[in-house]
Amino acid sequence: MRADLFITELRDRGLLTPEQATAIETDEQARPFSLHYEIRTLLYLGITLLSGGLGVLIYEHLDDIGHGVVVAVVALLMAACFAYAARHRQPFSWGLVSGTSLLADYLLLLGCLLFLVLEGYLQAQYELFGTRYGLAVALPAALFFYLAYRFDHRGVLSMAITALAGWVGLIVEPLAVFKNEFLTGSVSRAAIGLGALLLLAGWLSEIRHRKAHFAYTYLLLGGNLLLGAATAAMFTEVLRPLALLVLLILAVSAGLFWYGRRAHSHLFLLLGAAYGYVALTYGLAQLFSAMGLDTVLTLGLYYFIGSTVAAVWFLTHLKRLAGTDAHEQGL
Amino acid sequence: MNKAYNPVWARNSALQAAAYRWNRRGLLPLPQLQAIREAYPLDYYRPNIYLRILLFLLTVLGYVAAGGIIAVSAYELLQSTLSSSDTAIIGLIALLAAVAGQLVLRQIITSSRTYHAGSDQALLYLSLSFAGGALYCFMLVLLPPSADLFALTSPYLALWLLPVLALLLWATARFGDALVAALAYMVALLLLANALLQFGVGRLMLPFAVMALAAVLYRLVRYLATRTDYWYYRTCFITLEVLALATFYLGGNYLVVREDNAAIGGLPVSTQIPFAPVFYVLTALVPLFYLYYGLRRHRRTWLLTGLVALAFSGYTLRFYHSVLPPAVASALLGAFLIGLMAAALRYLRTPRHGLTAAPADDSGGRPGLNLEALIVAQTAHAPQAPEPGLQFGGGQSGGGGAQGQY
Repeated sequence: MRADLFITELRDRGLLTPEQATAIETDEQARPFSLHYEIRTLLYLGITLLSGGLGVLIYEHLDDIGHGVVVAVVALLMAACFAYAARHRQPFSWGLVSGTSLLADYLLLLGCLLFLVLEGYLQAQYELFGTRYGLAVALPAALFFYLAYRFDHRGVLSMAITALAGWVGLIVEPLAVFKNEFLTGSVSRAAIGLGALLLLAGWLSEIRHRKAHFAYTYLLLGGNLLLGAATAAMFTEVLRPLALLVLLILAVSAGLFWYGRRAHSHLFLLLGAAYGYVALTYGLAQLFSAMGLDTVLTLGLYYFIGSTVAAVWFLTHLKRLAGTDAHEQGL
Repeated sequence: MNKAYNPVWARNSALQAAAYRWNRRGLLPLPQLQAIREAYPLDYYRPNIYLRILLFLLTVLGYVAAGGIIAVSAYELLQSTLSSSDTAIIGLIALLAAVAGQLVLRQIITSSRTYHAGSDQALLYLSLSFAGGALYCFMLVLLPPSADLFALTSPYLALWLLPVLALLLWATARFGDALVAALAYMVALLLLANALLQFGVGRLMLPFAVMALAAVLYRLVRYLATRTDYWYYRTCFITLEVLALATFYLGGNYLVVREDNAAIGGLPVSTQIPFAPVFYVLTALVPLFYLYYGLRRHRRTWLLTGLVALAFSGYTLRFYHSVLPPAVASALLGAFLIGLMAAALRYLRTPRHGLTAAPADDSGGRPGLNLEALIVAQTAHAPQAPEPGLQFGGGQSGGGGAQGQY
């Protein structure tokens, strides 16, 4: 259509050879209209609606005769989803597995969601795990990790990591949920520890080439868990000493920043910069206030002017820092 | 119509985007892409999205602060020299602020070559708001004090809306800004509603009039897209096309017509409306037609608007009839969607009717970053144009005839 004018012009200027111009013109006309993202969105919507609807339904009919039917339907659907995914599986590899079917990917996700629905139901109705809640959370974590690696699925991997974090939280402070006291010292320590483990796992999977593309999920979730928990602990002062905490945040932020540059990722650069800035500001404010009020006012003013300039510089040079600038200029 | 920005900017960026697409589809070797980039440079300023937001906020802050400081002293000065009412003076100051904003905007576009870079958009939107405010103040002075300008049925509303519409149309033609274009259309819709509500039968006609206006807008957009600088106004055209489709649907939607009818009539609970069967049919069929047309003619705007419209039709149905319990409805709908998409994936395994389920371009994994391309670009040189007499962007050291095979 409108690209025709471009093609003609480029050919006339000698920037395209006539054969190329014809090839591009044919391609522009014959290129099929892609429904890829529409199909993905609708599939995702369907999975959410189905698992959400069944999840509510199973509890609504708890004392009903119909509830056996609902449980059977959920179990059958779950089995069918896993069976479909298993039938369309690709041979296992430590690299990125290409050629997986789109539908199998989404049905695997649906199977995992239905597994959670079913497990929750069995626990509520028959107390399958009794009071060993840890086991009830550890089981899906283990299953999801296995499925994520076997089927090369990053969505299931993040579900596994979430389940793992729940399990760790439950192990350290089993009664925190009932006491409505989420941010205690032991929970923060556990979150920081788990975050560090996840960061390590992400880093190892990248350099050892064991599912290197999983590194993004590990680093993103682990980094946010560690830095979020440490920042919250810093503000609420549940962990001591403060200096060590600030140094930890700064070090991990610097690590994420460095990784962002290495992986050409704007997201990690921004994460590292934001958490690092918060920790640095808080740490400096504590340091200044220990020196006395006058220094807070004068130094604080300069600090904010300076940090605004630094933020503008950072955003202006984001592309260059991430190395995507050279890519865009050079290409 | 003289344009505020250099129209070459819009065209060059569209051309480069097309060239990138050809490169990703493997039709254009990298050195040639490089040559095209040099022949059609993007010499305007548009930073990344974070910086654009920052620039927008800073400019708004600066404009309002500077305007406020000047306005206070100007107000005192004018009050001592002129003997007119307060409203007129405020209007005059708002007009001055709008004109000053436009002058600064023209200045930064020529000096900094900003092109939808945040700062210019902030100036445009704020100066237009000031101009609209100024018109409102002048209207208040001219009209009798009893006139209520802000009721939809007020006969005076049109007196204010007409100059605002003219202003917005001028700004759209000059700046090619999608938000301004959308606002202009909204003002036109308000004008139409205002005009029709002056008559008793107008309320009955309103849904059909809105649909007619949407259809006219759609025709107009299609006409203008071929007659004007398409690339300069591209975002405006797309926005207006979506808005035209959306208002055509909403004008015929049963829920919207019934509830708005009640709201205009001041009824506490909506009652059945005249011509109800017509609206049932429109609510059900318009989204399906959008989907059909979008798939048939490969138009993404139709397809996506149709999907959203279909969802809203479902909501309309559930609003008046609770067909199934929510959990059952959600589960069934989910199962239906999954089944339908599975069927679509199976059907489109090989492209049919020009449709495919595969992603649009096979950039292989990460879009926007292709390390191999980066390395090649740093070592390769652009080929020279084979035809003599045509020169562009100096500094190529590659020999002639290096184009093509790669």
